[in-house]
Amino acid sequence: MSTRTVPIRFQLNGLPVERSIPPERILLDLIRDELRLTGTKRGCDLGTCGCCTVLLDGTPVLSCLTLAARADGRSVTTIEGIMTGGRLHPVQAAFVECGATQCGFCTPGFVLTAVALLRENPHPDRATIVRAISGNLCRCTGYTKIVRAIERASEVAP
Amino acid sequence: MHLDAFELHRPESLSETLRLAQTWAGQSDFLAGGTDLLPNYKMHLNLRPHLIALDRVSELGGVSLDRFGATATLGELERYLGQARAYPGVADAVTEVATPLVRATATLGGNLLVDTRCFFFNQSHFWRQSLGYCLKADGDRCHVVPQKERCYATFSGDLAPALMVVDAEVEVAGASGVRRLPLRDLYDRTGDGIRRLRLAPGELLVAVHLPSEARQFRASYLKLRIRPSFDFPELGVAVAARTDGDRIEALRLAVGGLETYPRRFDELTDPLEGQRWSEERIRDLAAAVSAAVRPVRNTSLAPDYRKRMAGVYVRRAIDRMRHRGG
Ligand SMILES: Cc1cc2nc3c(=O)[nH]c(=O)nc-3n(C[C@H](O)[C@H](O)[C@H](O)COP(=O)(O)OP(=O)(O)OC[C@H]3O[C@@H](n4cnc5c(N)ncnc54)[C@H](O)[C@@H]3O)c2cc1C
Ligand code: SF4
Ligand code: FES
Ligand code: FES
Repeated sequence: MSTRTVPIRFQLNGLPVERSIPPERILLDLIRDELRLTGTKRGCDLGTCGCCTVLLDGTPVLSCLTLAARADGRSVTTIEGIMTGGRLHPVQAAFVECGATQCGFCTPGFVLTAVALLRENPHPDRATIVRAISGNLCRCTGYTKIVRAIERASEVAP
Repeated sequence: MHLDAFELHRPESLSETLRLAQTWAGQSDFLAGGTDLLPNYKMHLNLRPHLIALDRVSELGGVSLDRFGATATLGELERYLGQARAYPGVADAVTEVATPLVRATATLGGNLLVDTRCFFFNQSHFWRQSLGYCLKADGDRCHVVPQKERCYATFSGDLAPALMVVDAEVEVAGASGVRRLPLRDLYDRTGDGIRRLRLAPGELLVAVHLPSEARQFRASYLKLRIRPSFDFPELGVAVAARTDGDRIEALRLAVGGLETYPRRFDELTDPLEGQRWSEERIRDLAAAVSAAVRPVRNTSLAPDYRKRMAGVYVRRAIDRMRHRGG
């Protein structure tokens, strides 16, 4: 099958991107391998770990199971895109403060999932937090400090 | 993981979708959320050269009290059912599918048509090649039930049983027009386990329709899985009933996660209509379901265990339903 390329345009962390890509290009591969934003991690590549989470029009999705063509006309936010004016996002700051990261491989996914949760629900209870992060796996921390960090971020949130 | 090249079609109307599906019948797959299809494609399972994406076809979307569009995401459906406080069994099932991240893109249609699963199928190409392929992809024999005729892979969708017990119907569109059929008839139990749906090549799911009686049912869905936050069902039991005090006016029960087809047990529940709930009747029903189901050794938990747990879950699902208001 001849691979034609498809043109796509989208906003990546607020900046316009225009590309011609093969239709089978996965969003995660586009972000990491072509656009060189390696904060988004490849864990399982099959939808089970949440390391590859990005925000698509503000909703957390798994970039390893999303065709890049689906980003056309939309906005994508990766972990590189949530700092403002050189300052950590409150969720990032809370992760640092609470020691919610060990090897760090899962952290970008957790942070983006938490950013989206707090936007929708600024003061979630613990059960809501646990449910929201149930698609993100961490093999190091045991989750306690991650949940604590998200609670902390919700306390300091404007 | 590498995806082989394919042609991607992104139609913007139902008629254009049907035209494409007709042109590429047998050589194409529909792509909804892709959370089932893309992992399978990454593992080189039954690739087709054309993908027809459904996300831009507005006729397939939307959720209302009596109609759930096929491309409604599970996240959308979950929020809607939470707010509308409707169809408690369907609401149970939808929140138990995968994870919130998967549900953000996974769709209802994809869930009803999710491919069957098996230890020997959901593996990388390298793994499958080393063992020798199987009937369901690239090979000619089954590794679970040694023979060459039939596949026993497990139907692992959560929503089908929950929707079957409230008599949901599916709307299907194809070259010969639009038709409706009861959801439970979508699954063709006379097939060989590989051909297992009553869909003609190029036919697609448009929506699920809920009859008004569905709203008079109390219902529940219970799922057995290894990690409660995460996994595919090793067993799913859905029940729905309309009662007058203790008297059963209507009763439906369906199971998934055990065999190649989700299955409704009218032959066991019909005789209970007109009777009163009793511990003994519930115990007998649970035992009869457990005796009837035939799981095989192709998922994580042992078949005897799943078979026994089917009875336990029937009792628990009925209990949960009866203690639920509404
Ligand atoms: C980590 C993980 C965990 C999961 N856990 C569960 C679970 O617990 N329970 C569960 O039920 N599922 C689970 N799934 C499977 C899957 O996510 C869901 O079943 C989902 O609802 C599939 O929907 P989709 O839109 O992504 O389907 P797709 O992958 O887009 O499609 C699935 C199949 O349906 C066909 N199809 C889709 N829509 C239509 C339509 N409208 N008309 C005709 N054909 C159509 C496709 O061609 C394909 O064959 C899991 C998946 C992952 C990655
Ligand atoms: S049940 Fe048999 S034929 Fe079907 S997927 Fe498993 S090994 Fe293959
Ligand atoms: S890399 Fe996408 S979910 Fe694991
Ligand atoms: S910090 Fe190592 S996986 Fe989470």
